Amino acid sequence: MGIKVVKRHGSSLKDKLYLPAIFGGMKTTFKHFSKNLKDTSKIISMSYPEVQPADITDNYRGVHRLTKWDDGSEKCVACYMCATACPAECIFIEAEERFDDKAEKRPTAFSIDLLECVYCGYCVEACPCDAIRMDTGIFSFVASKRSDFLVDKEYLMNNERGKDFPND
Amino acid sequence: MSKAPIIFIIVSLLLTIGYAIYSVASAMALVSIGVIVVNILLAVVLAVGLTPVFVWWERRVAGLIQDRLGPNRCHIGGFRLGGVIQSIADMLKLVFKEDFTPSFIKYKFLFTLAPGIVFICYFLTFGVIPFADNIVLDGISHQMQALPMNIGIMWFIAFAGLSVYGIILGGYASQSKFGLLGSIRASAQVISYEAAMGLSLISMLLTYGSIHLNDMVVAQGDLLFGFIPAWGIFMQPLACIIFIVTVFAETNRAPFDLAEGESEIVAGYHTEYSAMRFGLFQVSEFAAMSGGAAIIVTIFFGGYQVPYLNTEALKEHISIILMVLMVVVPLSLVMFTGWIKKNNVWPDKNDIRFRETAILVKIFLGMAFSLFVLLAYLAFTGLSANGTSIAVTILQVATFLTKFFMMVLVFMWVRWTLLRIRYDQLQMLGWKILLPLSLLNIIITATVIVVGQ
Repeated sequence: MGIKVVKRHGSSLKDKLYLPAIFGGMKTTFKHFSKNLKDTSKIISMSYPEVQPADITDNYRGVHRLTKWDDGSEKCVACYMCATACPAECIFIEAEERFDDKAEKRPTAFSIDLLECVYCGYCVEACPCDAIRMDTGIFSFVASKRSDFLVDKEYLMNNERGKDFPND
Repeated sequence: MSKAPIIFIIVSLLLTIGYAIYSVASAMALVSIGVIVVNILLAVVLAVGLTPVFVWWERRVAGLIQDRLGPNRCHIGGFRLGGVIQSIADMLKLVFKEDFTPSFIKYKFLFTLAPGIVFICYFLTFGVIPFADNIVLDGISHQMQALPMNIGIMWFIAFAGLSVYGIILGGYASQSKFGLLGSIRASAQVISYEAAMGLSLISMLLTYGSIHLNDMVVAQGDLLFGFIPAWGIFMQPLACIIFIVTVFAETNRAPFDLAEGESEIVAGYHTEYSAMRFGLFQVSEFAAMSGGAAIIVTIFFGGYQVPYLNTEALKEHISIILMVLMVVVPLSLVMFTGWIKKNNVWPDKNDIRFRETAILVKIFLGMAFSLFVLLAYLAFTGLSANGTSIAVTILQVATFLTKFFMMVLVFMWVRWTLLRIRYDQLQMLGWKILLPLSLLNIIITATVIVVGQ
């Protein structure tokens, strides 16, 4: 177990001249440049709006959705757990009494401000009824007005599970 | 009523200017005016007009070096010309952006003046670059440079040195920490490289025995030991390396862009500038690069000289050269259309950008055919004395442009390869390495010249 002496770099004449290292670096960059200039198809950049990313996994946290019973009514029981858990305070719920057998309460309004939302997924964790999920796979939500980012219950209930994800 | 005097003044001014131009024109031959206009246009286009193209090059070269694409999508009716439309869009944005002056700036005049100084100085360095050998038309010789004067390299050194005042003034007048830091760095930089730059040029002056750039380029048309072109790089390799390094420092480009060092001091001297004032700094940066590339090509890479063919040889063998070009130029254009077809590919088959390929291929093939016909006609009918001079001049300008663009590419290539060096490292490099080396080079050159005599 002797001491291993590592020789310092930069003491030889070649290192002190700098130029060999500079030309070495320039050779490397030139190889990339000429290869890519001859044939741009090898570059892995996507032509984005035309080509969509195919590597979004099913645990990706996209825009939220509200899940539904088979008859199309909401699973949400308006318990405010998600709104309480939300660190960004972007979930706004108004509740009313529910008279079918599914639950005792339902939300009349359930809106999320997507500009405030930090997509942390705490609302999904907090929900006791599996009523809110973030598995739509929507990674870019575009609107032209600020008010359009405040999505309402109807939008959230119309969102479906991402098409490319395996069904469970 | 009130408009009448203004109209009168404008008309009389126009008449005066017209008369002045007429009297100058009658004094000089129309041909020499034509030559001067061509030269000034060349200088303006190369120094300033190419800025959008260089911005685009810079970004595309960076992209390709880093295995990305760079700006390639922006288009007008399908025409994207490889992405150059993007820099036109950027330019429009800069023009229409609000020109904002922060309220804490006390000396608004100096603040406004600074980008102008930088721009004018870098722009004027282009004035003395010879684009071709003196052209002889009807027995009269004309200089092929924008400012026909003989002070040559002194002009370049003077204006390249002055330009740093604009940078210092800009950062100082900004009255912000980052602007001031940028200016201090610029001034520290200028004192560390300018000495080595001037001294490396002195060894070139000793070699060529002239400060006139055209004389230098004419001297580079000879052969060294009978088989190497007598370019500056082969005669004075050490001076060449020192000069190239100092020109990189002069133009404030990587690896010596510490005056703007965006990772440390926001944007350095142009932190407080916005809109077209910032744009002017940007344009002058590229003008500096053009000027630097042109002067490097002129002094060290044979300027407009075609290797192994100096002006007399070109004039002598013009018909053979035209025949060679008749084959080479159309062929390379045809190969270029193949490259366009291969690389302008979009995922959607109905993409409007496919139209560009179709039209550009037709344009280039048409150009190839018409050039072939023109060169064939000229080669087989022969040229008059004036025609030969013009053909030789065009060839030399084309050679100069080829070398110039390759040098600009080297500037970009170096920028995307090397890291920015530190402020004290630059001073160390300038004072402890480049200065002694350039002094040594002067001594060796002078000794060789004296012994040679």
